[in-house]
Amino acid sequence: MRTRAILGSALAAFSILAIGWEAGTSNGTLATTTTTDTGGTASGTTGTGSSSSSSSNTTDSGSTSGSDSSSSTTSTSGAADGTYSGSVESTRFGDVQVQVTISGGAITDVTALKLTDHDGRSVQISNRAAPILRQEVLASQSANVQMVGGATYTSEAYLSSLQSALDQAGF
Amino acid sequence: MRHHWTTMGTEASIVGSDLTAAVIAEVERGFADVDARFSLYRPDSELSRVAAGSLRLDDASDDLRGAYARALAWRARTDGAFTAHRPDGVVDLSGVVKALAMADAAALLDAGSRDWQLGVGGDLCWSAGGTSGPFGIVDPADRSAVLAAVVPAASRRALATSGSAERGEHIWTRLDLPVSPFVQVSVLADDIVTADVLATAIVAGGEATLDLATERWDVDVLTVDRAGELRATPGMRAAIRSAAPVG
Amino acid sequence: MTATLPHVAATPEVTRSAPTIDAGRRRRLQRRRLASDLLVMAFWASGAAAAALYLASGGLADWTSAGGIVTGVGILAGLIGTDFVLVMLVLAARIPVLDAVVGHDRAMAVHRRLGKPALYLLLAHGALLLIGYALTAQLDLVAQFVQLWELPDMPLAFLAIGLFVAVVVTSLVAVRRKLPYEFWYGVHLLSYAAVLTALPHQLSVGGVLAEGTVQRVYWIGLYIVAIGSIVVFRVAEPIVSSLRHRMRVERVEWIAPDVASLHLTGRRLDLLGARGGQYFFWRFWSGRTWWHAHPISLSAEPTARRARITVRVLGEGTRRMTRVAPGTPVSFSGPFGLFTDAARTSPRLAIVAAGIGVTPVRALLESGDLAHGEATILLRGSTDDAVFLADELRELAGRRGARLFRSVGPRGATGGWLSAADRARGVTIRSIFPELAQSDLYICGPQAWTDAVVADARAAGVHEDRIHTERFDW
Repeated sequence: MRTRAILGSALAAFSILAIGWEAGTSNGTLATTTTTDTGGTASGTTGTGSSSSSSSNTTDSGSTSGSDSSSSTTSTSGAADGTYSGSVESTRFGDVQVQVTISGGAITDVTALKLTDHDGRSVQISNRAAPILRQEVLASQSANVQMVGGATYTSEAYLSSLQSALDQAGF
Repeated sequence: MRHHWTTMGTEASIVGSDLTAAVIAEVERGFADVDARFSLYRPDSELSRVAAGSLRLDDASDDLRGAYARALAWRARTDGAFTAHRPDGVVDLSGVVKALAMADAAALLDAGSRDWQLGVGGDLCWSAGGTSGPFGIVDPADRSAVLAAVVPAASRRALATSGSAERGEHIWTRLDLPVSPFVQVSVLADDIVTADVLATAIVAGGEATLDLATERWDVDVLTVDRAGELRATPGMRAAIRSAAPVG
Repeated sequence: MTATLPHVAATPEVTRSAPTIDAGRRRRLQRRRLASDLLVMAFWASGAAAAALYLASGGLADWTSAGGIVTGVGILAGLIGTDFVLVMLVLAARIPVLDAVVGHDRAMAVHRRLGKPALYLLLAHGALLLIGYALTAQLDLVAQFVQLWELPDMPLAFLAIGLFVAVVVTSLVAVRRKLPYEFWYGVHLLSYAAVLTALPHQLSVGGVLAEGTVQRVYWIGLYIVAIGSIVVFRVAEPIVSSLRHRMRVERVEWIAPDVASLHLTGRRLDLLGARGGQYFFWRFWSGRTWWHAHPISLSAEPTARRARITVRVLGEGTRRMTRVAPGTPVSFSGPFGLFTDAARTSPRLAIVAAGIGVTPVRALLESGDLAHGEATILLRGSTDDAVFLADELRELAGRRGARLFRSVGPRGATGGWLSAADRARGVTIRSIFPELAQSDLYICGPQAWTDAVVADARAAGVHEDRIHTERFDW
């Protein structure tokens, strides 16, 4: 093999590995330097959710559900629109990093960026269950549903259930 | 049209625009047959006789042993979170039997109708390519209210919901695991058996099983934990968003 | 004008005035060198890119425990091993550009050399992940294996590794020699199945290639390039050009007890773009020959309606080929081969051919670029009958002013590439080709014999770029 090919290969391989390394490590540093702002906006808006327990909990929603990324960040009022990444937090369920999208002063999306499962294996993040705010499900509640699913209805429970109302309305 | 009846110790409904009385009767018969053989509510059922020890599992019908094998396979796949035995050791196939009966009913309905939705004891399945939703998911804190509505992705054909607060529950928390953090788990899947088994398994197995289920299966999951906090997979989030009448 | 072999080494700086090296040829050579260097770099870069995918996904963050490190190394092995396998597909795809730069036979030599490393990497991938996961989850290996087996698409992945093992084992030189070609070929086709069955688990289980990542896009792109080049150049292109030229067998002419020329007819064969000395993969559509394509050189420059190839019966496949009925349709892919004057870099031409290797030589002599008196040819055969097409070559050499020598007789116990008798008389490569230093040396024959000539030429100081070989032992 010619020297040029050897040197070129070494250089190309080294550069590509360096880029990969850089990309791999910069994810972490990038995430820890940006701040998340869920405090002011979230607590105000989620108060309208159907469960009262959620409004008091939103600032550190992660701690009960496995991702306390937002609790560690600073809280400022008047959130600017944009996408924010929380820091990587270790929880008893593994490492979690959450990304929050704020639009018009309200949280419009929360997605998991990086997760490891309970025994430390990094897992495919695409299908992980991530915290979802009551506010997000609220809008769907007014949909005109066809049927209702719920934990197993015994016959007694059925009578007071929503499905019963739907079934009666159908006749 | 909408049809409602009682079977397997719970309530069932069928909704559909092109359903015939014959198809409905066939579906009802299917459930009645399964109920007679597999229900632990009926002391004379085949399964009750197995549980009581008067019928050996080896001598039971092919259907029963088939259901038992399915349940055991799911136990292995969910790392033991889903189980075919009650803690007292009794073989309890209610976890799969209802789902298997619904799968059978789905096949019957597909043959006789193009647009149908079937609900049995809070688990739903529906026709491919027909009206898929919006479906409501009950709020575990208020059984007469909808927590969220979903319009599932096109491939989804089933929504199963399991809870840990319901009376007569068939979920038994494993003694060697921490108490389940979830009061309710809903799973959207391409078939009712997968949806039902995984919903049951996640309630029983907690966080570990939630991770495992979303990692290993193509399903969408919505969980409600003891503090009332919600968690959703991206597919479930999208299904909820599509159900919202505005935006 | 076959002459007696000269056996007194001529001094290098003799007689004829050496023409200056053509500037065009030199430029061509430099371009080819650059292209071949770039290919080498691209290969290593793709391997590095596979590793970089892992680094970019932040994999090193898991290197905090023994289990994490073993798992990480296992993932790296899988990525790099799969990259090698995809490179092997590209090398075997018979891509014209690749052939023009390094030659299909050299591409295949690299393909063969990559087989074992790729397999070792993939086996290590499976083993290390099993161990790494088991360490992390504190399970025994059997329990961990069961758990792996139950992950989505993992049974397919285990199937893939089994297929890879079968493909590589049947291709080991020692094993392959003992197997009928048909069996080896059938197993080798399974490598496509192996590549495809390995893909689902990479996308569903592999965290590095998770949905929505750049890594996943790159990886799927890599698969598309590899599978696509096979589909385009080994399936689509041959179909198109075969339909266009509609070749059929006209007749089979036996020119020696075990050598036959197949005369082919077709449309616009002058547009095949083949230069003398190049070869095609031929497929004869008869009931017993359709499944296997053979690489064979044109043994005469094609005309508008006719082409000719000459084959030696070396095995069952070539025997069946010589028995096809006139009118049998023929499909082909090509042309391939650097054994053309396009590869030349020097003013003089030295050609050594043995056995059926004379076929490209004939076509080379016929090509238009050859200047009068430029070429010297040595034909080698163990018996007189084994020097094929000798009459044609004699006539051609006379017309092109080429010198033609023969070395006939057994090689003898001491080896070497000339007949024992000629060697005893003191004939050497330098005595045959006194202007070797200003020559391109073309060697065409069986592999072991070719290697012996190449070794001799190197010892005589011929530069690597001037040695052109074509293997004829497929």
